[in-house]
Amino acid sequence: MPAMSAQSGPATRAAAAVELRGVSREYGGKQARVRALDGVSLDFPAGSWTAVMGPSGSGKSTLLHCAAGLEKVTAGQVLLAGTDITGASDKQLTALRRRQIGFVFQSFNLVASLTAEQNVALPLKLAGIRVSKREVRAVLDSVGLSGRLRHRPRELSGGQQQRVAIARAMVTRPAVLFADEPTGALDSTSARTVLTLLRDMVDLAGQSIVMVTHDPAAAARADAVVFLSDGRIVDRAIRPTAREVAERLARLEA
Amino acid sequence: MFGLSLRTFRERWQLFIGAIVTVCLGVSLVQSSLLILVSAASPHLPAGLSPLAAEQLSESYEAAITLLAMILGLGAFLAVFIVSSTFAFTVAQRRKDLALLRLVGAGRGQLRRLLLAEALLLGVIGTALGVPLGRLVMRLQTWMLIDLKFLPSSFEPRWQSWIFGVSAGVGIGVALLGVLAASRRAAKVRPLEALRDTGAAVRVMTAPRWFFGAFFLAGAVAMAILAQFTSADGAVPLSMFTSIAAAIALSALSPLVVPLFGRLFGLLLRRSPLGELAQANLRDGVRRSASTAAPLLVLVALLLGMSSSINSVTAAGDGQQARSISGDLIVDSSGASAARIGAVPGVAVAAEQVNLPFQVTTITQKKHKTKVKVHDRSALAIDSNAYQRTHPLSPTSGSLADLHGLTVALGPGNDNDDGLSVGSMVDADIGGHSYSLRVVAVLPEFVNGGADFLVPQDILPAAALAGADVQTVVQVDSGVDPSAVATRIQAARLGSVSTVARSLASRTDSNKQVNSGILVVLMGLAGLYTLVAVINAVVISAAERKAEFAAARVTGLSRGQVVRMALIESWAVTAIGLVLGCVAATATLLGIGAATGRMTGVSVIEVPWDLLGAVVIGAFAVIGTTSVWTSVSATRATPVSWE
Repeated sequence: MPAMSAQSGPATRAAAAVELRGVSREYGGKQARVRALDGVSLDFPAGSWTAVMGPSGSGKSTLLHCAAGLEKVTAGQVLLAGTDITGASDKQLTALRRRQIGFVFQSFNLVASLTAEQNVALPLKLAGIRVSKREVRAVLDSVGLSGRLRHRPRELSGGQQQRVAIARAMVTRPAVLFADEPTGALDSTSARTVLTLLRDMVDLAGQSIVMVTHDPAAAARADAVVFLSDGRIVDRAIRPTAREVAERLARLEA
Repeated sequence: MFGLSLRTFRERWQLFIGAIVTVCLGVSLVQSSLLILVSAASPHLPAGLSPLAAEQLSESYEAAITLLAMILGLGAFLAVFIVSSTFAFTVAQRRKDLALLRLVGAGRGQLRRLLLAEALLLGVIGTALGVPLGRLVMRLQTWMLIDLKFLPSSFEPRWQSWIFGVSAGVGIGVALLGVLAASRRAAKVRPLEALRDTGAAVRVMTAPRWFFGAFFLAGAVAMAILAQFTSADGAVPLSMFTSIAAAIALSALSPLVVPLFGRLFGLLLRRSPLGELAQANLRDGVRRSASTAAPLLVLVALLLGMSSSINSVTAAGDGQQARSISGDLIVDSSGASAARIGAVPGVAVAAEQVNLPFQVTTITQKKHKTKVKVHDRSALAIDSNAYQRTHPLSPTSGSLADLHGLTVALGPGNDNDDGLSVGSMVDADIGGHSYSLRVVAVLPEFVNGGADFLVPQDILPAAALAGADVQTVVQVDSGVDPSAVATRIQAARLGSVSTVARSLASRTDSNKQVNSGILVVLMGLAGLYTLVAVINAVVISAAERKAEFAAARVTGLSRGQVVRMALIESWAVTAIGLVLGCVAATATLLGIGAATGRMTGVSVIEVPWDLLGAVVIGAFAVIGTTSVWTSVSATRATPVSWE
C-alpha cells in the first residue's frame, strides 16, 4: 500500500519527519476490541505543519501518541526522523524524547514547582546537557516572555503558560513538535498568538509540526490538514481556509 | 535531580509533613530508647547492696531492657511502615507530575533518584528535628519507666556521642527504606499518563502487594501455630509478631480487602443519596481508603494482639499460682516467731518458706577446657512435708518426699538452662556455706516464675534462718474459722496475716499494674504514630479532592452535603480499619488461648475491652474532626474557581 502523503507536490520528496506504515492500534480484550487506528499510512513531511482533524473518537489522539512513541502500535511501523521506533525500548524512547521530540498539550503540563526559566531548562538538564542561561532566555524571548522568567506556572495566564510549554519544546531543537489541542484551553486572542508562534517556527526555522485539533481556525494555519474518521484517513486538504475545514468536518460528523 | 527534589519539597510540603513528623518521632524514640537501654544494660549498681537486693535490681533492669527493646523495634517498624505508605500515597497522587517528567525526557533511573533524593531530604530534616526532640523524649521516657517501677529512681541515662551517627542512620535509613518500593512504582509510570486525567490503568493491587500479603499472611498463620508450642517467655513476643505479621498482610492486601468490606457497608449506606455517593467514592478511591484504614488496622491489631496476649498469659499464670496453693492464711514474719505459728490453736499445717540467695557453680568442659561459672539464683528453704500439704502440685519428675538432707528440687522459676535432672549434682553456696546437693525432684515451670530451687530447711544452720523473712502458708483445722486463727496469730504478734485469696489478689493487681504500664508505653507510642499517619492520609486526600468536591457542588450538592459525604466516607473507612484490625488480632487471640491452655491447663483469653473502646471512640473522633476540617477548607472557594 503506497503511503499517502499529507501534502502532494514537490515537498513530498523531502524526507518525512514522521512516517506511519500500515499502523493499527487496538484496545481492549478479546470480547470488546476497539480499533482506534485501522491501517493508517501517512507521511508528515519535514519542515512543514500538518494538522490532524476528525470527530470525537476518530483516533486523532491515538495517531499522535503512536507517532510520538507514547503508545505501542498493534500492527505496522512508525519511523521517526528515519529511525524505526516500533519496537524501541524504554531507554531508546527516553533518548528520543530528549533529543528528537517536543510536546505541547492542551493542559500545558508545566511542572508547577519550577519557574518558567527552569521549566524550559528541564529537558536539557534531564538529558545531562549543560544549560546556558542565555540560550534559555533567548528561547523565552522568542515566545515573547522575556519579562516572565522567574514566574511560576500559576502566576501566568493560560496563553503565557502555553508559550512557556512551546519554549520548553523548542529548546532541544526537536526533529518533530507534537501538539495536542494546543489552543483548546485558550481564549481566542491567546490562541492567535500561539498559532502565529507555531507558524513562525515553521516558516523561519523549518520546524516540523504535527498538531491534533478540533478548531478549524487552528487547522487553517497549518500547511496541510488530514481528516480522520473511525481510525482511517478519509480526506485531506492543502492550505484550506477555516471555512473549508469546518465544512469538511461537518460532513464527517453528519 | 536534587534541585528538582528540593523544589518539589518546597511546593508540596503538605504531602511530606506527616512523613517528616514520623521520621522525627522515629529518630527521637530510637535514640532515647537506645541510650536508656545501653545505660540499663551496664548499670552502676549502688555499692553495699545485699546479694538478694542486687539480684532483684538487675532483674528489674532486665524487664526494662526487654520493654525498651520492644519500643525500639516497634518504633522503627512503625516509622518505616508509615513513611512507606506515605510515599506510596504521594506517588499515586503525583502520577501526572511524574509522567510529565518522563514526557520531557526523564529516564526511569532519574525518577527513582528524584524520589530517593526527596526521601534523603526528608530523612535529614526528620533527623535534625528528631535529635533534639530525642533528648526531651529521653527525659520523659526515663521518668515514665521510673514511675512504672521498671527502673530505680536513682537511674540516670548516660549520653553517648556515637548516638548522633546512629540517629542520622536511623532517620535517613527509615526514609530511604520507606521510599524504596514507591520509587520502583514511580519508575513504572508511563509518559502517556501525563495526558490522561486519571490513571485509569493504574492497578493498586500490584505484584509486590500480592507477594508481601501472601508472605506475611502465611507467616502470621505459622507463628500462631508455633505460639502453641513455645514456652511462656516465647509466647508473648511470638503472638506480638503474629499480630504485626497479620497486620502487614492485611494492609498489603487492603486494596483487595477494603473495597470488599466497603461493599458490606454499602448495604447500609445505600439508603440515602449521600451514603450512596460516599460508598461509590469508597470503591473508587481504593488507595485513599486503604491509606486511612491501614494504620488503624495496624494499631488495633497491635493493641488487641499485644495487650490480650500479655494479659492472658499473666492471668493464666495467676490462675496457675492460685491452683498451686492450698491454704487459708499467709503470714509474713521473721524467722524466730515463724517457728511458733504451728503451735497456735486451730492451725493444722504451717508451711514455712524462706527466700534465700543461692549461688550455683557450674563446671562445663569443652575441648579440654574447664569453665567455671557462678550464677545468682534464688531458693526457697522449706520443710518438704508441710510444703507438699500446702502445695498440691506434682513434680514432673522425682518426688518432693525425698527432699531431705543434702538434696535440692528445681523450682517453678527454673527454666533449667543447665539441663539438670533427677540425680544430677548441684554445687551451691547459701549464706556463705558451700553445699553439694543432689537433685531429687523437678517441679513444673510456672508462667509467672517463682523460686529457682527448693532446698530442705534442715540443712541450713539455724543462724541463717533466725534473722530471715519467713512466709508461712497456714491451713486451719477443719471446722475452724480461719479469721479466728488469724486473730490469734495477730494477737500473739507472730507476724502480719492475710488470707491466701487476698494475697493472691494483691499480686494479680500488681501484675496488672505492671502490664498496663507496659501497654501504656507501647500503645501510646503506636497510637501516636497512627495519629500522624491517619491525619496525614486524610489531609493529603482532601487537599487533592478539591476539584472533585467542586464538581459535586456544581452537580447540586450543598457545601454541607459535601462535608457530610466526606465524613460518611471517612467514618466508613474508619470502621473498616477497626474491623480488619480485629480480624488480624483474632489469630493472636486463638494462638494465645491455646498457648495458655497448654502451659497451665486452663486456656485464658483476656480482651482489653476498655482499651479497645477508647481506640474506637478516639479513631472516630480524630478522623471525623480531620475530615470535617479538611473538607470544609477544601470547599471554601466557590465551586467554579477551583482551577
